[in-house]
Amino acid sequence: MATPVEMPRPGITVEECLLVKWRVSKGEPVAAGQVIAEIETDKAGFEVEAPVDGVVLETFFAEGELVPVFTNICVIGQPGEDAGPFRPRRAAPAAEVAPKEAEVSRVQPAPDVAARTAGPEPAGEAAFSPRARRFAGERGFFPQGVRGSGPGGRVLEEDLRRLYFAAPRTSPVARELIASGFVAPAEGSGVNRLVRAADLAEPPLKLAGVREIIARRMRESLATTAQYTLDASADATGLLALRRRLKQAGVDININDLVMFCVVRALVEMPELNAEFIDGRIYRRRSIHLGFACDTPRGLIVPVIKDSQDLTLEELATRAHLLAEQAVSGAIAPDDITGATFTVSNLGSFGIESFTPILNPPQVALLGVNAIQLKPVRRNGAVEFVEHIGLSLTLDHQVIDGALGARFLGRLREKIEGVEALAGPPA
Amino acid sequence: MYDLIVIGGGPGGYEAAAHAGRLGKRVALIEERRLGGVCLHEGCIPTKTFLKTAGLLAACRQAERYGIRVDGCRLDLAALQERKRRIVGTLERGIETLMKRSGVTVIRGRARLAGRNQVRVNGATEEARNILLATGSRPLVPSVEGITLNRVFDSSAILELEETPRRLAILGSDYIGLEFAGFFAAAGTEVTVLDASAEVRASADRDVARRLEEALRRQGVRFELSTRVTRIEGGAVHYEGPAGPAAFSEVDAVLNVTGRAPRLEDLGLEETGVDFDGRGIRTSELGKTNVPGIWACGDVTGRMLLAHAAAREGIVAVNNMFGIRDRVRYEAIPVVVYTHPEAVSVGRTEQELERQGIAYRKAMVPMAAAGRFLIEQEGGAGFVKALVDARYGHVLGVHALGDGASEFIFAAAWMIEMEMRAAEVRELVFPHPTVSEALKEAVLAAGRE
Repeated sequence: MATPVEMPRPGITVEECLLVKWRVSKGEPVAAGQVIAEIETDKAGFEVEAPVDGVVLETFFAEGELVPVFTNICVIGQPGEDAGPFRPRRAAPAAEVAPKEAEVSRVQPAPDVAARTAGPEPAGEAAFSPRARRFAGERGFFPQGVRGSGPGGRVLEEDLRRLYFAAPRTSPVARELIASGFVAPAEGSGVNRLVRAADLAEPPLKLAGVREIIARRMRESLATTAQYTLDASADATGLLALRRRLKQAGVDININDLVMFCVVRALVEMPELNAEFIDGRIYRRRSIHLGFACDTPRGLIVPVIKDSQDLTLEELATRAHLLAEQAVSGAIAPDDITGATFTVSNLGSFGIESFTPILNPPQVALLGVNAIQLKPVRRNGAVEFVEHIGLSLTLDHQVIDGALGARFLGRLREKIEGVEALAGPPA
Repeated sequence: MYDLIVIGGGPGGYEAAAHAGRLGKRVALIEERRLGGVCLHEGCIPTKTFLKTAGLLAACRQAERYGIRVDGCRLDLAALQERKRRIVGTLERGIETLMKRSGVTVIRGRARLAGRNQVRVNGATEEARNILLATGSRPLVPSVEGITLNRVFDSSAILELEETPRRLAILGSDYIGLEFAGFFAAAGTEVTVLDASAEVRASADRDVARRLEEALRRQGVRFELSTRVTRIEGGAVHYEGPAGPAAFSEVDAVLNVTGRAPRLEDLGLEETGVDFDGRGIRTSELGKTNVPGIWACGDVTGRMLLAHAAAREGIVAVNNMFGIRDRVRYEAIPVVVYTHPEAVSVGRTEQELERQGIAYRKAMVPMAAAGRFLIEQEGGAGFVKALVDARYGHVLGVHALGDGASEFIFAAAWMIEMEMRAAEVRELVFPHPTVSEALKEAVLAAGRE
């Protein structure tokens, strides 16, 4: 009956041994007790003896290979017996092994042995020498992607030692914090660049919810459009006068409502800007679904006033205020934040004088509304200071050229300057 | 043109000069008096010489406890002074050799800044790319009537006494005051320590301070705390105490150790625009002043009035001036009071942790937990207090009382530097039997809480 010969374990910390030399070869008769192979650990050389009399039926490893302990290295039996069942997994017949690099790559311990080793091993990377492996295991130091100075990039103890003492190390507390997500700098402020708790940065915050959606849409906007912004301003005298009168009359309509109403009126006359650009096609929209940017505790939300072209000033304002309240409280319906064909964003209340609003594709235009400021105006040879509202119109140049955008701004200016007539007699 | 001129030859200055010299720089060190500074001539070294003798005196008196009969033992102050001078002389020659070996040019004279890169000394102007101010400190003289009388000594003058006083009043209860209190009590002097504070100021840790005071009381030292000295007159120290005006009379010597002041005057700081206040020259943890090229270390900065802090600050300044990144980590600088028993501290105190809102766990282990302490200190008392972070378990502070503690407190400083937890300290092997085992026990106990 065939008897396998295992790689012995010469010490409790030994995980694999170097097969230094075969004293016998395949087909050779051996006697029990005869030395059949020489092996070596980190520390010393040993001999492997034949456990039984017989003939060497098969050897599974070549000289110079690292063999995990308790792995069959050869089989002894009677001529004609099959050694195949004893072949360790992944060990090729010795005769086929020629190039040295191939040997190195094959020196992965068998799975059961891997489970017993001290720590994780960089899979698919250059093999560690036994001494390097021991150095790594003792320190829990398994650097990734290391190419060693040994043959075939084999990582020697010397390579690891150099890396280990060059790398910034972390204090026990810092290590614990890093494991929980804190970020370590390249080097710390402690002794010999030790990274200490105080050197760590807070764990990065992952974008979530609305913020994540905003981030993605803004990125897509800039990546897929050719946007540019035109700045202009409109005389706000009428706007302010109307707002004053409405307020006195107890009507809840603010400057932004008035501007949005003017925007709708201008879009009705110039529908080129009430369009969507999808897959190379321009879709002119008959309905003006007007989006307006709302600052909410959860971030930017854009409620949409559907069919705004059909609404009176008061209806538009009432709808806008209701949607804004819902957006802030989080009660807004999903349908009310989708489908805008044009968007207005007002930063005027923050005193912003001009900005570059980011398009919300597939929309092709977006109006930024700025603060009302005094502007010198020449009238009848004299300079007067007149209140003006700033307008920043972002357009997608793929679809809308500067002249068209400018014309739209001109039209919008007319609407704003004539807002008192446009809105009809005060309620 | 020098790469560095160091002004002041104390432990901050000479260590920095030697370090720069070893880096291959052209260095000059200017010292007005003798190399070694307060540390070598009026501080650390002479006082420890005195305290060694005090410890032996105490041991002789208690010799029976250790199985020795000693007949007649008394202080020979003249012999002690001689020994002190010998030790100081040996160490001073050591510093001179160090300067020579490091290639440092020593200039004897009084220096004054004459610009960012210029120093006036002995009527000449020396130029340097960097100037390190290490002028140290001097005893503070409070405005108390009679403080200038000739039997009122400061910590420097009292080291030159030829006879021990019979009755001594010590004004000030910081480590300097208590070390002298311990020495003179052992020498047979009746000592009274007066201080305005309610507790002795020798330790940042209140348990250590309280227990140190108790230990010194048992050695015969009287304490008059929460008092304000009003005048010194006719051999009496008059003071306002909690119980009203009182006097400590028939005093034949008064030691003024109320505090120390930075040596800032006549340095040319104003002219060069160096930022300073009453505490000292303002420096960063890199040793920089507000003026590029001008650095400062040690007592003159008013940060930590300790020789080893000065030396570290000086070396850090030199490293930074020559492009080697380094900085002082003040949280791990140990403080030692060389009284009997010794009091040591490193890291944060309980009060600091509470103020900073850091949750901590603490353990107080008697020194006698280490068998060696019982052998060394018959009837001695002491403890090690370890403070560890409640969340992560790393060592935040260690405070201890007991002889032998000065020799192992560096290990606690190292634990703090390395942010070690009890788990790591458990892996360290402390030699047995040593007093240091009490440190390990305390840290492990705090880690277990």
